[in-house]
Amino acid sequence: MSSGVKPGKYFVQGDEAIAEGAIAAGCRFFAGYPITPASETSEAMARRLPEVGGVCLQMEDELASIHAIGGASVGGLKAMTISSGPGISLKLEGLGWGIKNEIPYLVVDIQRAGPSNGVATRVGQGDFYTVRYGSAGGNSSLIALSPNSTQEAFDLTVECFNLSEIFRCPVFLLSDETVGHTRELLVIPEESKLNVVKRIKPTVPPEQFLMYPLDTPGVTHYPFPNIGEGYGICVSPYTHTSKGYASTAQDIQEKMAKRLVFKITENLDKLVRVEKQKLEDAEFAVVAYGGNARPAIAAVDMAREKGMKVGFFRPIIVWPFPDGEVLTVAEKVKTILVCELNIDGQLVREVSRAAKGKAEVYHLGSGGVEPHLPAQIFNEIRRLYQ
Amino acid sequence: MPTTIIKEFCKGCGFCIAHCPKKVYDLSEEMNKKGYRLPRPVRVENCIECGLCDLYCPDFAILLEKTEKKVRAKGKEGR
Amino acid sequence: MSTVGDTLKVLHPLVAKYLRKERMPHMACPGCGIGQVVHAALLAIDELGLTPKDTVWVQGVGCSSRITYSTWMGDNVDAHHGRIFAVATGLKMARPDMNFLLFTGDGDCGAIGGNHFIHACRRNLDVTAILFNNGIYGMTGGQVAPTTPPGAVTTTTPYGNIEDPFDMCQMAVAAGASYVARWKSTDFRPLVSSIKKGIQVKGLAFIEVLLQCPTNFGRYVLKTSQPQEVLKWIKEHSLYKKDAEKLPPEELAGKYLLGEFVYRPERTGIVERYQELLKKHRKE
Repeated sequence: MSSGVKPGKYFVQGDEAIAEGAIAAGCRFFAGYPITPASETSEAMARRLPEVGGVCLQMEDELASIHAIGGASVGGLKAMTISSGPGISLKLEGLGWGIKNEIPYLVVDIQRAGPSNGVATRVGQGDFYTVRYGSAGGNSSLIALSPNSTQEAFDLTVECFNLSEIFRCPVFLLSDETVGHTRELLVIPEESKLNVVKRIKPTVPPEQFLMYPLDTPGVTHYPFPNIGEGYGICVSPYTHTSKGYASTAQDIQEKMAKRLVFKITENLDKLVRVEKQKLEDAEFAVVAYGGNARPAIAAVDMAREKGMKVGFFRPIIVWPFPDGEVLTVAEKVKTILVCELNIDGQLVREVSRAAKGKAEVYHLGSGGVEPHLPAQIFNEIRRLYQ
Repeated sequence: MPTTIIKEFCKGCGFCIAHCPKKVYDLSEEMNKKGYRLPRPVRVENCIECGLCDLYCPDFAILLEKTEKKVRAKGKEGR
Repeated sequence: MSTVGDTLKVLHPLVAKYLRKERMPHMACPGCGIGQVVHAALLAIDELGLTPKDTVWVQGVGCSSRITYSTWMGDNVDAHHGRIFAVATGLKMARPDMNFLLFTGDGDCGAIGGNHFIHACRRNLDVTAILFNNGIYGMTGGQVAPTTPPGAVTTTTPYGNIEDPFDMCQMAVAAGASYVARWKSTDFRPLVSSIKKGIQVKGLAFIEVLLQCPTNFGRYVLKTSQPQEVLKWIKEHSLYKKDAEKLPPEELAGKYLLGEFVYRPERTGIVERYQELLKKHRKE
């Protein structure tokens, strides 16, 4: 079976790049529900997945989609779903099942202006905390990556699938309408240049295999046997033992919680990806992510032209949050300006926390609909710069 | 037909006693660990091997020779 | 004749062959009908020659499902409340070669899971679903269900239920399932034959089973905790389709119809149709 990779140069939207990235990563099951501004990915998957022998279904609602991809992953296929704002809220219930049972799959959020239906066709960045903390019950950590271009939408989708297999968990691609709907150059490399992680299978017989490694919480690259492979797997939403049998014992709950948290937090060194520009001599740093990053970079360039020592920092892996990298920046500069498309302040809270008071942290928030204009960010830099 | 009551599976619901067409079972004084009073087949000579006690039992607590023979034979029909 | 302690040494042959003995005895209340239906399902599996290697049990949440949790010797997939049909869609489309037996309850299928149930029937997903209808929410302590009879007192309808129940079988027929039937838990042989027919038919097989819940339906609705009394109530309030045809409508009010409602094995479903789609459009 071929990989479905179509090397070449394309002029496509970010949403379509995500579809190609998924197929290149080996995704062979997609379930979704139409929602602006994510439907283009569903439509691309509907055209492309059958070409590579995969399954693409439009389900009856958002919950059906996330549960179907959970089932498909347990069934042996790499799987993905996509949504925006209110649809992501609906999916959070099903996400818990994936987290609890350590099921690899990808959930894509093309953020739009909110809350509630908001402005369906326009950008927002209000789901930063939702994807991390929205699924009830706590006791877990989460991996989320955020692209700022069509090319990154492709590259990070492949990386998300890889991370979901390595960490055996659902992973989020936290994108937004700006990146999703901007048409620009996508270069798909030759298949041999792509690094795709295959699903890891057990090397021990069924009677020796533990489906959930509760006694080794920090372990990664843990095998994920599927149905029909002779392992008699048990998948259950209740707190369960290493074999998958439901339990109410406190020590099992403790071990399970630690496994779901530590498998990510004890491997932070594998999960840091940031972009830094002009920070070597900077006294002022601008922080932004996703579709709001490029106006921020333009504003930083405008400031440099005026002689201000301003640099730029972007988290690419947004969860787990790159605390160490932010602290390094905070120790160097006097001021940090966080530019994001929400008024309540989400990214800014994480930056403040990680900065540990080493720099003054300010928020340039916006309700969304448009990304910040470079001039808006530049004016704020000028106002705050000392 | 000899009947075995699997003691720790029985939950004392009384279906076998109530539904045996030949009144083979009585309630005994014997209790299992959970405190359920167990049935006992007392009139075994009346048993007509209908198998209803086994089918009525919700807890797989009644072991009949005929069930063992049937289940051990390979299923032939397939899907 | 004998009573045997030390359970794990002597097992019912169906338990020995198909279930994880460390999970037995199951957690159903004394007299609950769920065990009887599971017994029938195991007989059906045995008579068809299905094995733990080729069959997956999928369960939801509620007594209906929790009693079979991680009990089957093969693969067990226990989903969130109401979501088994959605999860089963992913499972079946990933592994169309395997058999899937779904266990669901009145709330799991008819309330929170209603939408997924309807669409699974519409897609005629090739799985066999058994609805354990005990007319109440058992596991959570006796709340009203979409299948609770009108007037019934439950913990959330202390003044009597003012809503009418669903006829889940008619919904399955209307939505497009290939095979729909209803029995009571003590219709042993018809139930086993029905489950076998359901497993063998291509498309969605929906088999509703009326069963006794002495703990909640018995105590709250019927004011009795005796399993026999609840069984008697079910028997008095149900009749076979062939007998119902002879009676005037007034005599059918408040009664459950038992029997087969539809059998349309010629109706294709999403599994075969998707295979056809791939034949036409697959490029590699």
